[in-house]
Amino acid sequence: MPYTNQAAALIHSVKAVGERLIAANPVELAVGNVVRRVLHIVREEDLSLTTAAMAGLNLSAESDDEDDTDRDNHPALSAAAIAAASRSTLRPPSLQTLLEDVPDSAAVPHTSSSGGDSEGKSKSADKSSRSRKLKHDVIEAVNELIQDISTCHELIAEQAVEHIHQNEVILTLGSSRTVLEFLCAAKEKKRSFRVFVAEGAPRYQGHLLAKELVTRGLQTTLITDSAVFAMISRVNMVIVGAHAVMANGGVIAPVGLNMVALAAQKHAVPFVVLAGSHKLCPLYPHHPEVLLNELRSPSELLDFGEFSDCLDFGSGIGAPLLHVVNPTFDYVPPKLVSLFITDTGGHNPSYMYRLIADYYSADDLVLERRTTSGN
Amino acid sequence: MKQPPQKKDGPPVASSIAASERIGVDRSVEKERKKDLPPPRKQFDDESRGGRAKRRSVLNQPEARNRVELFRHLPPHKNGTQLPSLESKFFELHEKHPAVYKVGLQYLAGDLSGGNARCIAMLQAFQEAIRDYSTPPEKTLTRDLTSKIGGFVSFLIECRPLSMSMGNAIRFLKSRIARLPLTLSESEAKTTLCSDIDRFINEKIVLADKVILRHAATKIRDGDVLLTYGSSCVVEMILLYAHELGKQFRVVVVDSHPMLEGQKLLRRLVVKGLSCTYTQLNAISYVMHKVTRVFLGASSIFSNGTVYSTVGTASVAMVAHAFRVPVLVCCEAYKFHERVQLDSICFNELGDPDAISKVPGRVDVNYLDNLTDKQKENLELLNLKYDATPSDYISVIVTDYGMIPPTSVPVIVREYRKEYLLI
Repeated sequence: MPYTNQAAALIHSVKAVGERLIAANPVELAVGNVVRRVLHIVREEDLSLTTAAMAGLNLSAESDDEDDTDRDNHPALSAAAIAAASRSTLRPPSLQTLLEDVPDSAAVPHTSSSGGDSEGKSKSADKSSRSRKLKHDVIEAVNELIQDISTCHELIAEQAVEHIHQNEVILTLGSSRTVLEFLCAAKEKKRSFRVFVAEGAPRYQGHLLAKELVTRGLQTTLITDSAVFAMISRVNMVIVGAHAVMANGGVIAPVGLNMVALAAQKHAVPFVVLAGSHKLCPLYPHHPEVLLNELRSPSELLDFGEFSDCLDFGSGIGAPLLHVVNPTFDYVPPKLVSLFITDTGGHNPSYMYRLIADYYSADDLVLERRTTSGN
Repeated sequence: MKQPPQKKDGPPVASSIAASERIGVDRSVEKERKKDLPPPRKQFDDESRGGRAKRRSVLNQPEARNRVELFRHLPPHKNGTQLPSLESKFFELHEKHPAVYKVGLQYLAGDLSGGNARCIAMLQAFQEAIRDYSTPPEKTLTRDLTSKIGGFVSFLIECRPLSMSMGNAIRFLKSRIARLPLTLSESEAKTTLCSDIDRFINEKIVLADKVILRHAATKIRDGDVLLTYGSSCVVEMILLYAHELGKQFRVVVVDSHPMLEGQKLLRRLVVKGLSCTYTQLNAISYVMHKVTRVFLGASSIFSNGTVYSTVGTASVAMVAHAFRVPVLVCCEAYKFHERVQLDSICFNELGDPDAISKVPGRVDVNYLDNLTDKQKENLELLNLKYDATPSDYISVIVTDYGMIPPTSVPVIVREYRKEYLLI
């Protein structure tokens, strides 16, 4: 596979796999995030390799060369080669590329025909070494990404000491491993504080978190979700985890957190969201309560046995009288969030869109493959 | 909270306010106002008052296991494990009338809940006790009966702290006893008192509910989606009444752990043919998009407009306010109180802490079983029963005096309190 095509082919195959992964569970945004990160890595590595190659071509053009047969051809070829190289890199869509709409494979014979055979041979030697280098770089970068995702808890927990001081009261809802590590890191640094854990019906994960916290020696009070408004006036800070962070700074969080965020805003309590950078999604939320939500089984709320008479849809009236709603996620708008703490530091919700440029490329936002139209 | 208004206790603050109004106001009315200043509530951690009550207590105080520091001023929950021992004492205690004893046991077991139901049951028990009462020699009826009623009330408080409605009813009864003309014979006095109690129940609760139904039903239109929280008897009556009138609407019942009262309401509504949606409190932001009105019940409304109601009501009102949905609180006027309260911590009721670790119907939620001692030492369980909703979240309060804004509650308390005391 010629190198000009290799990055494009790689992206093509990653997109194919990624599309299927995302289609399997669109609500699990982290999957899409990681796919887009990998695509971004491929593009970046390819770009850096090509700029290195172009720099190399420029140098060889300027240097006093011992190879006489090439010297005459060099100035003309280098310009063509540069043009070809720049055309083959995956540059962002511009009006020119949209109007050209030349598939990458067609560009290849064009460039090779512009050079002589000897040029072609040395180029192919370069191509294979460059393709191996691309593969190697991409794999290394992906390994780094894996490492980052698995160590994000430690990086976030390191910042705990800056935010939690003595005799504080922290409120959280449900259970999040990031929050657990965060609070325990502050405890390690000998800050004594108390935690109110709201149980987080209907999964009651708050019970688990409370058990973990008392095992590690933290003073914990388990409260019901209904008591959050009553207790929040005595709380110094609300610290929660997130399922996903959207590009506008909004948070897809476990159900109940919008209520907590509103209560925190009313009482001027900072609402802090902990999220690893792999949770940052480059999409903007449209109607997130419905489109980015998952409804779970009603049996978590109502016992089917007890309520079988009410849930009898077979009785001839037609329309069922009883609906049960059990959503998994809540959307918290960015104006209710005071601070995001990620593995790259603390950020305002209004800043999150800038981080997207670090991790994602604009081409990858829509992952459906573009059908090539023959113009 | 149950102490009768002390005639000597009015602090001097009241006089400076009254001074500016002295010109047009009668001296006796001013004295009334000073007398009626609410005495400070009895705090559980106050040693001077706690001692006397302990000596007279029938129930054993439960040991203070994992008491949340913030709520040390509230009496701990009396759980139902004392029930068998109390039932065996039923025939032994002569100074407590059996009807009152029975009502107390029902409170302790949790069989009777809801402000109106508890109040009516208590008043009817007092009626029976009054009918069976006979004045001992060398004692006046008024003083002896008042002290007897006081004894009954302290027993009921031990079973379960009084609700505001009950407190107001007791004040009414005591003032009626105090105003009995001395010329009446004992049997006439007793019949007068019993008929007064009947009138109170009839006018202040039963007829008041009918008036509230009529007012609230005007606020329900076809196509509405009405949300209610927990189980309030008044809201249930409103929904059924509107359904009988033929209005087409849907109901969203929001429920919360550990009481799960909404399930009982849900069953009663579905049986009558209303289409209902059931969800739990955390999902309130999800459902609130479609809701057009929120109907809430109240245990009491304070003079600063704060609504004191089942825990979680404040969250519902807050989210409704954020989504610009009108919140209507339906409450009879006898539940209004002249005290003020800013947050839910100053005064509340503690429920059974162990009820939090278990979920009825979900055996998979057993994370808090088998805790080690070290874990138990650090873990506290808090089960609050009430919370205070700030008045800015409430759009209108529907009472038997009409539909009033929350700022008019002290006006009703001041202008109409004498009316119901004198009936």
